[in-house]
Amino acid sequence: MQILRDDSIGILGRVTGLLGSWRRLFLGAASLAVFIALWSLYSAWLHGDWPFAYRSWSQPAEYIPYPSEVLYAFVDSFTHRDPFTSLYMTSHIYASLKRMFFGFVLAFLVAVPLGLLMGRSANAEAIGKPLVELFRPIPPLAWVPIFLIALKLFWGPIAIVFLGIFFPILLNVMFGAKSVDPVLIDAARTLGAKRRDIFTKVVLPFTIPYMMTGIKVGIGVGWMCIVAAEMLGAVGGGVGLFIYNMAYQGTMYDRMYAGMLVIGLLSVLTTGAAGFLEQRLSRWMGMK
Amino acid sequence: MDGNEVVISMKQLSKVFTKDRRQIKALEGFDLDVKEGEFVCLLGPSGCGKTTILRIVAGLETATGGDITVRGNKPGVAGQARGMVFQEFALFPWRTVRKNIEFGLEIKGVPEAEMQKMSSQLVDLVGLKGFENAHPKELSGGMKQRVGIARALANNPKVLLMDEPFGSLDAQTRNLMQKELLRIWAATNKTILFVTHSVDEAVFLADRIVIMTARPGKVREIIEVDLPRPRDRTSQEFIKVRGKVLTELDEEFEKARAKELSPE
Repeated sequence: MQILRDDSIGILGRVTGLLGSWRRLFLGAASLAVFIALWSLYSAWLHGDWPFAYRSWSQPAEYIPYPSEVLYAFVDSFTHRDPFTSLYMTSHIYASLKRMFFGFVLAFLVAVPLGLLMGRSANAEAIGKPLVELFRPIPPLAWVPIFLIALKLFWGPIAIVFLGIFFPILLNVMFGAKSVDPVLIDAARTLGAKRRDIFTKVVLPFTIPYMMTGIKVGIGVGWMCIVAAEMLGAVGGGVGLFIYNMAYQGTMYDRMYAGMLVIGLLSVLTTGAAGFLEQRLSRWMGMK
Repeated sequence: MDGNEVVISMKQLSKVFTKDRRQIKALEGFDLDVKEGEFVCLLGPSGCGKTTILRIVAGLETATGGDITVRGNKPGVAGQARGMVFQEFALFPWRTVRKNIEFGLEIKGVPEAEMQKMSSQLVDLVGLKGFENAHPKELSGGMKQRVGIARALANNPKVLLMDEPFGSLDAQTRNLMQKELLRIWAATNKTILFVTHSVDEAVFLADRIVIMTARPGKVREIIEVDLPRPRDRTSQEFIKVRGKVLTELDEEFEKARAKELSPE
């Protein structure tokens, strides 16, 4: 017997449902197109190009290159080595991904146990909370100088990414562990569960979806920190380093924007993958 | 139901909760013996400590005074002597029906093959065949509670504790589940301690109805329901018992209200 297969929507419902997803796609594409159009117009205005008859503002035109120039720089960064590090964009991406990966693994390993502990023990929460509240609002950027000096060019950037990813995972896991329905714990106890069983068979599974949310958010924040992490130098390059070099060393703003585009895309891809995993996992677990 | 052996014995049980530095007496001088195979319903105004008694028997709370033994042991020590069914079902959402039922067996370390056999039998007993691999969110309320009952039975407890198990079900499902519970009770010979605030439910199910006083809860009156099963809700005798229980309960309810209105 199959239950809850929703046949009530029928064909009509399914068609409109499909239209719905097409509409989302269309609106998304339209929004990007409008953005690019406005950008082009603004560049044209700065450059004094058609449809504007003359340069109308004193700001240097190269600050806002045309979208086509950025696209060209984007492609070029993959096909030609950049003049400062002699690396292809693929190497920068690889370096940044590796940094993100190390930062993520470290953050995960530290934040999950701490979050579980603080979520389940009032004492642990009382001890940890003031520190979390104090350190969380400090932008990772503030740590850059001392991390690079103290931890050098390999671990320094990783530590900065770690900070970005750490807090979202910690807070989500903590919140998840706190929200475990007490009646589930009562049920487990009447079924003979001891502290250890309650932890592994009730608290931990309950927290997994929250953990996944923390990971998704954390990865996003991690990418926001990548430029800060890499800006003063990083072993083996990095997209953040690329952006910083292009702007400060070379005034090659088209390439700088191309680097920013790479970070945006990497973030979309990685958080998208985490989101997909999150959905799959909660569906598989029967939670959502 | 042969036994006259007392399974649950409560003597002068009391429970005081401390909340915001104020002490609340939930139970005071509660006496009750439940015999083997008996179906006992606890009935009383809300806040009278019905659920507290169940939680003490289950070992989830400890009494602050008096004596309680479950089959001669302190509750909570004999982990497998009691199974509990909750009003909120309390199923593990990430576990399938089968895995929910097997929870207690898993903790005991029952081998996989045996566990499967036992859970299959329970699935049959509670009428969930075909739903073994469904997750709780896919089930209706009545079906969820069938899982709850099967899960509590899996450890083969002597005593089944039920805390308003059908309280969140619609009227039809509730009546059906009451019949189902009687069928399961007859098939398993469990001793059942059942909390409810439905008079109709208590008269339909119980061998004995324990009417409790308003807080602090103690026994006001025990009413034996001597009607043969299956009981007919519309019969003269049923209505008579129902009337008697209602009168007792109304008085207790009035007392509770008067107490609430009077300054302390």
